[in-house]
Amino acid sequence: MNNDQLSSAVWFSLGLAVCLLSVQYRLGVPAKPSAGFMPFLAGAGMCLCSLAGFVHATLRRKRGEGWRAMFAGLKWQRAFLVFGSLVAYGLLLKTLGFLLCTTLFIAFQLKAFSPYRWPAVIGGAVLTAVVSYVVFEIWLKGQLPQGFWGI
Amino acid sequence: MELLGHLFAGFQIVFQPMNLFLCFLGVLMGTLVGVLPGLGPVTAMSLLLPTTFAMSPVQAIIMLAGIYYGAMYGGSTTSILVNIPGESASVVTCLDGYQMARNGRAGAALGISAFGSFIAGTLGIIGLMLVAPPLAAMALQFGPPEYFSLVVMGLTILTFLASGPMWKSLLMAAFGLFLSCIGMELISAKARFTFDIVELSDGVGLVPLVMGLFGISEVMLNIEQSAERTIFESKIKNLLPTLGDWRASIPPILRGSFMGFFLGVLPGGGTVISSFASYAIEKKLSKYPEKFGTGVIEGVAGPESANNAATSGCFIPLLSLGVPTTGTMALLLGTLIMHGVQPGPMLVNEHPDIFWGTVASMYVGNVMLLVLNLPLIGLWVKLLKVPYAILFPLILLFCLIGAFSLNNSVVDIFFVAFFGLVGYLLRKFRYEAAPLVLAFVLGPLMEVNLRQSLLMSDGSPFIFFTRPISGVLISVAVVLLVFPLIPGLKKKPEIAEIGDMM
Repeated sequence: MNNDQLSSAVWFSLGLAVCLLSVQYRLGVPAKPSAGFMPFLAGAGMCLCSLAGFVHATLRRKRGEGWRAMFAGLKWQRAFLVFGSLVAYGLLLKTLGFLLCTTLFIAFQLKAFSPYRWPAVIGGAVLTAVVSYVVFEIWLKGQLPQGFWGI
Repeated sequence: MELLGHLFAGFQIVFQPMNLFLCFLGVLMGTLVGVLPGLGPVTAMSLLLPTTFAMSPVQAIIMLAGIYYGAMYGGSTTSILVNIPGESASVVTCLDGYQMARNGRAGAALGISAFGSFIAGTLGIIGLMLVAPPLAAMALQFGPPEYFSLVVMGLTILTFLASGPMWKSLLMAAFGLFLSCIGMELISAKARFTFDIVELSDGVGLVPLVMGLFGISEVMLNIEQSAERTIFESKIKNLLPTLGDWRASIPPILRGSFMGFFLGVLPGGGTVISSFASYAIEKKLSKYPEKFGTGVIEGVAGPESANNAATSGCFIPLLSLGVPTTGTMALLLGTLIMHGVQPGPMLVNEHPDIFWGTVASMYVGNVMLLVLNLPLIGLWVKLLKVPYAILFPLILLFCLIGAFSLNNSVVDIFFVAFFGLVGYLLRKFRYEAAPLVLAFVLGPLMEVNLRQSLLMSDGSPFIFFTRPISGVLISVAVVLLVFPLIPGLKKKPEIAEIGDMM
């Protein structure tokens, strides 16, 4: 299997799911299309394109194109750490409040991916959080979450 | 004469102190985000969008437009000095710009890039001023079939010109159309694909989608690589191009300006394709094509002019038809709608202050950029020396605050993270996100006009072929779709060729 065979198979499944879910919103008739009409067309388009892609990729596979390593020689775990930290930020923002949550978020990014020492990490994180709070909350009158400790 | 009168009125609007300040702020921010890799104009505009709520519509658009065309100026600086494009339209400038810097001609490359951008920007604005009003008048004859065919043509052009196999681009466009269907349906107000998530009833937001697909995924891709970027260290001098430089650069600047402007007008054209196309043309017309890629000034002058002219061209479909052709234009459309202004054929007549104020602000902004950029190059170089380890947490934080500030909802943060991961995987599997975003933006317009057209024709799809304007537009789309299937006809060889060189 090569990369395009795998990805087109995933896209085909997604397109099929979109088509099936669209039916529940009713497709209507050509003279009077209903709410499910457009998503059904989009899903059908995804299925058709992914099918064409799968055939194309299979022909290339027969000519010898194999799996292309996408993560070799890369610190790919870092990308997923970034993703995890974004999700954690979203989960904790309302509870911890903007200032504390942002301080922790920046401290994590500075410590996890670079060799900075703790004083620099903490100083940088606190400074970033405070400056962004002043800019977005006080200057731009945003409504950033306050958290359990009121700021 | 009437045109000059309108333009004069536009200048009266721009020269109000607050508007002038916002224009300055916009171009300064634009240059800054253009210089910093990983923070593009869309991200910056999304971040500043909430701050425009307290402004008038014309002030909002003056500032956001300034960010857009300012980023085109700034983007070339990193391409030339670091070999990393500040934003995607400057990718091609790396080829010869960086080589010029290595040959000790960084000053000339930066100088011709700034002057070329200024000339192209000015020519583009003149084009915008001349083309948009008559096009808006013509667009008054557009009905649902014409709008549907226009959108289909735009999407087809983008998928045709995108890099990689066409099935991938079309697949991305279909996925974008599906995403645009999420939320409350426009005709019967029925909720679709919301899965009982209240925040989804308004649909997926453009800002979280774009921030995730472009901003976050860029950080994720950069962070997994350990290579440090090297910055051009020696002193940058002689920013004013020599007479020989000018002689070599004027034809590419003019060609780039015209080509960039017209590609910018086409839905799906945009700044990136303009710069690539300009590079390809310059290489083809050159007496020494083999020297391209080794530090030839034409390879900087043409593409940099093309992407700046394209920024003006992009405004034409937005302001005259109400059809955004890129993700950035979609943000501007969103801004105007949030301010109670509906872009479209009536805009020029009903809101002349917005149209002519924007045009005039672009003239003023271009002058500001020229004055700003050349003396501040030393400052931009210093900024580039900020380690990525410090820069990327700030980019992430800007994206998070920008997403949260839109609706004061953490759900938008999850959307940003989700689309960041999607964007990362798409790039790993070599899918392009641009057709997805354009289809997402144009999806609602496409759906409404498709359904209205079918209602008008009692279900017959021939309505798209029998009406003259619609027939021409849809025929272009069909030809572009069929073109790659004809044996022996290779798809966009020049752009593919340049892509391989990168």
